[in-house]
Amino acid sequence: MLGRWVRFVIAIALGAAAGIGYGWVLAPAPAAEHAASDLRIDYRSDVVLMVAEAYASDQNLAAALARLSFLNHPQPAEVIQEAIHFGERYGYSDTDLQKMRSLLAAIETLTPLVGTSAP
Amino acid sequence: MSERRGSLYLLTGLILGLGIGLIYSLRIYPVEYTDISPALLSPRDKDQYRALIAVAYLANRDLLRARARLALLKDEDTYSALAAQAQRWLAEGKPADEARALGLLAADLLRSQATLLAPTVTMTTTPTPLAGAPPSPSSPNPIPPSPSPTSSVASTPFASPQPNSTFQTSFILRKRESVCDPALGKGLIIVYVWDAQGNELPGVELMVSWEGGEDRFFTGLKPELGLGYADFSVREGVVYSVRVASGGEPALNLSAPTCTAANGETFPGVWILEFMQE
Repeated sequence: MLGRWVRFVIAIALGAAAGIGYGWVLAPAPAAEHAASDLRIDYRSDVVLMVAEAYASDQNLAAALARLSFLNHPQPAEVIQEAIHFGERYGYSDTDLQKMRSLLAAIETLTPLVGTSAP
Repeated sequence: MSERRGSLYLLTGLILGLGIGLIYSLRIYPVEYTDISPALLSPRDKDQYRALIAVAYLANRDLLRARARLALLKDEDTYSALAAQAQRWLAEGKPADEARALGLLAADLLRSQATLLAPTVTMTTTPTPLAGAPPSPSSPNPIPPSPSPTSSVASTPFASPQPNSTFQTSFILRKRESVCDPALGKGLIIVYVWDAQGNELPGVELMVSWEGGEDRFFTGLKPELGLGYADFSVREGVVYSVRVASGGEPALNLSAPTCTAANGETFPGVWILEFMQE
């Protein structure tokens, strides 16, 4: 026969498990306040592609940089490189990749990417 | 009596534990979301995402791709979300090209829906999922990284006017009429813009100026009233002129007409202008 204290502690543990299960699984904290920096890599890459598509049309680098700031990354060039790598790996069309490379080239003329190795 | 007390202490333990568990899981160590989909963005970031979709659409005129991207946001009514944001963007002084792109995309979506409803059109709009992309628990990945030849063909029925082709030509003022009908609105300049074939033109920039001020507005931001429709609220006693920004004949000396209702009250009337592509 378990003592009253032991049963009391077991009851607390069961309650805590139920509470944690509710908070983490059934009703997690509201999910509607997330930033674009939390987007999955494929969605981030598509954001970069959208910016590159607009840039290919209007050649407005200032607007492109402002749009890339949506991803809240301190180095826009890194974000574009990441998107290009993703696009190369997952079969983006040459046209799309070219647009992103053009955007990267334009941005790198302003801010050379630190750590980019020469071929 | 003692048995009841026994079950009560267990219940107390459970409630205490439940409280501790809830505080821990919701406050101290809540679920952290990483690698989210656009549907989970904050409303502000969703707006920004929508604007990006629109400017990309303005650049590539690929409605199939724009539609796939918009689907990621899981808006209840995509068209209304776009049209409302276009209005808000203008009111908040956000970039006018983005507002125009939003309005144009809304209008083209509406037009494509009408095309899809036509009995002769049969097509699939589901984009090909990205092969090998990381799996998403909530939705298949609908990002169309590169439209396949098939999707290009499939998007043909959605073809929109080519960018700039309509906006660089000049327009003539075909109609100018003051109307006293409260059902149309009060103190408005209503503009309709048509192409040379008589089709309504969305996304046309209009300039309105008055002594000491100037503003612009676009057709197509209220597609429910017509793709070539635009309106501008005027103040009584101020004289306005309106023209299509790309050039053409202006409508001059527009001040809100004074109208009298059936009960004798006066109200500002409406100007209706119709511009047609030369």
